[in-house]
Amino acid sequence: MVIDVDNLVKKYGSIIAVDGIGFRVDSGEAFGMLGPNGAGKTTTVEIIEGLRTADSGQVSVLGMDVARVPAKIKQRIGIQLQAPSLLPLVSVEEILQLFGGFYERSLPVDDVLEMLSLQDSRKVLVKNLSGGQQQRLSVAMALINDPDIAFLDEPTTGLDPQARRGLWSVIENMRGKGKTIFLTTHYMEEAERLCDRVAIIDHGQIIAMNSPRELINEYFNESAIQFEMEPPPSEVILKSFPGTTQVIVSGSEVIIYSDNIPATMSAILKYAEKTGLTEQLKDLYVREPTLEDVFLKLTGRKIRE
Amino acid sequence: MKPFLKLLIADLKQFFRDRTALFFTFAFPIFFIFIFGWVFSGAGDMSYKIGLTNNDETSVGDSISQMLHQIPIFEIIEGEQDAQMEELEQGDLKAVIVVPADIASSIGSGEPSEITVYYDPTQTTSAQIIIPVLRQAVDEINRQLTQQPLLLRLSEESIQVHDLRDIDYLVPGILAMSVLFLGLFGSLTLVERREKKILKRFGATPLRRSTMVFSQVVYRMILALVQTLIIIAIAYFVFGVQMVGNWFVLLGVVLLGTLTFIAIGYFAVSRARTTEGAMPIIQLIQFPMLFLSGIFFPVDLMPDFMRPVMDALPLTYLGDAFRQVMVEATPLYPLWIDIAVLGGWLVVSMILAIKLFRWE
Repeated sequence: MVIDVDNLVKKYGSIIAVDGIGFRVDSGEAFGMLGPNGAGKTTTVEIIEGLRTADSGQVSVLGMDVARVPAKIKQRIGIQLQAPSLLPLVSVEEILQLFGGFYERSLPVDDVLEMLSLQDSRKVLVKNLSGGQQQRLSVAMALINDPDIAFLDEPTTGLDPQARRGLWSVIENMRGKGKTIFLTTHYMEEAERLCDRVAIIDHGQIIAMNSPRELINEYFNESAIQFEMEPPPSEVILKSFPGTTQVIVSGSEVIIYSDNIPATMSAILKYAEKTGLTEQLKDLYVREPTLEDVFLKLTGRKIRE
Repeated sequence: MKPFLKLLIADLKQFFRDRTALFFTFAFPIFFIFIFGWVFSGAGDMSYKIGLTNNDETSVGDSISQMLHQIPIFEIIEGEQDAQMEELEQGDLKAVIVVPADIASSIGSGEPSEITVYYDPTQTTSAQIIIPVLRQAVDEINRQLTQQPLLLRLSEESIQVHDLRDIDYLVPGILAMSVLFLGLFGSLTLVERREKKILKRFGATPLRRSTMVFSQVVYRMILALVQTLIIIAIAYFVFGVQMVGNWFVLLGVVLLGTLTFIAIGYFAVSRARTTEGAMPIIQLIQFPMLFLSGIFFPVDLMPDFMRPVMDALPLTYLGDAFRQVMVEATPLYPLWIDIAVLGGWLVVSMILAIKLFRWE
């Protein structure tokens, strides 16, 4: 066990940002903290990293108390911050050398550049980097001290799909080398793909925690039917469809969780025919539930609303 | 030591890659010396164009003309009165001297004769300089014509070991100003880095805050030393201002002054949330300090009620220290008082800055 968090509380005035969070992360595990913006993810992570102090609760990292020996812990963890800003007039190579110099032990800059495919921009000044390159550099900086635990806070936010996939494979490589990874994200597919275990967090509390597959199985033995219709049927009507266990309507988009797909499907089609809205029914498909659906089911909200 | 040096090198690299910073740190004080230097050094060897209408054709008129030609600050141009009066009105001539036609005969008959000088009283400086010089010249001519022996002579001895010109007073002032800017504005870097979360990023590593601040301070001191050498070099090679004092004392005062103003800057912006908020605070300190400290104006020009203000400002003492060390000008205070007052400001500001500085 490399991270042990117990009953963590942090308030900002009357707002409770972190409300009694507790969990453990094992060595070599890729742990994800998942939740909408403002759920308390970043506050929690920054307390674990020693960048903020908690109002109450215990955090131990690598067997050390964060409140007591933050500097010792920082030697052995790598931190990637959200929306990183760096010295603008030094090059990629120089900033990695600079940050490497802050630690007792650090990796050769070339290795880190290669890991993040930044070799070609090694001489480029930070201010001239593209958003994707900056994001990769900020991950590179988190890895320069060859950390036992890498904390990555929304590492792929603002990246195009290709760059995101590139970064995912970097993180997968790290997993392969047995590094512990602590990832926060609001991209469900990212958590699903990268994490051994995720904690879903909302309003400062953990509302579910397990492996992505287990979480989905725990909350769903049904499948999801998704379609668009203008105007959408009312929830009362949707719930009357056979097999329906839960419905979520947002705008013209409808998701029905159903344990009897054929029955629910034919009810939907009948309804459309009867009301003369067949033309209005679009993008109807059946899919396996995802973490996004777990979040929806638990909170009744979509994660990115 | 390693993080400290790496940070220092990174900051120096950034500085030399930043043209705006380069300009304001080095070009600006140089620019300032040249402008002030030309304005003031001009006054020293400036000559005034004086018209002379000599209506007397005898040897008396000639000898008067010769005497006037010998005055070093006058450039005598002889011509007709009407034309010269017109040039005077246009400001091409600063004065017109008219020697009357009958001067030889008047002198022969023992009658006093009048040499008239026309001048433009709105041109105050030239009038203030030209008229007394002319009066002296006329006295001298008078004495030679009447052949009276000289009984009293005024001997002028400067108490300065070497003569000080305006530019000599000015260069220490410019140096003090540069140190003021370099110190005060240093604090903005920290505010900007806090605002942009660069401090937070540093804080995510084992780097100590004290190391970070220390490297910033040393970085500023290096800039101050380089700036000092450039200013002194330009003052010496272009304007012949001699650095007559002890180099070690001078550089010591430069470092002390830089430290003091860095500390004052950090204290001043300690509660500011943004760079935009910090900037006006710095300017609010900088401008009155520049004008009330007497680094550019002699203390005597300051109204009495302003004296206590002047006596409180650290820049007054820095300027005074530079002046006495660099050009051995008459000090306002003994050097140890200058150093003690700067040291006092340093300690107090530093304590306040450490107590009040907002890191997050």
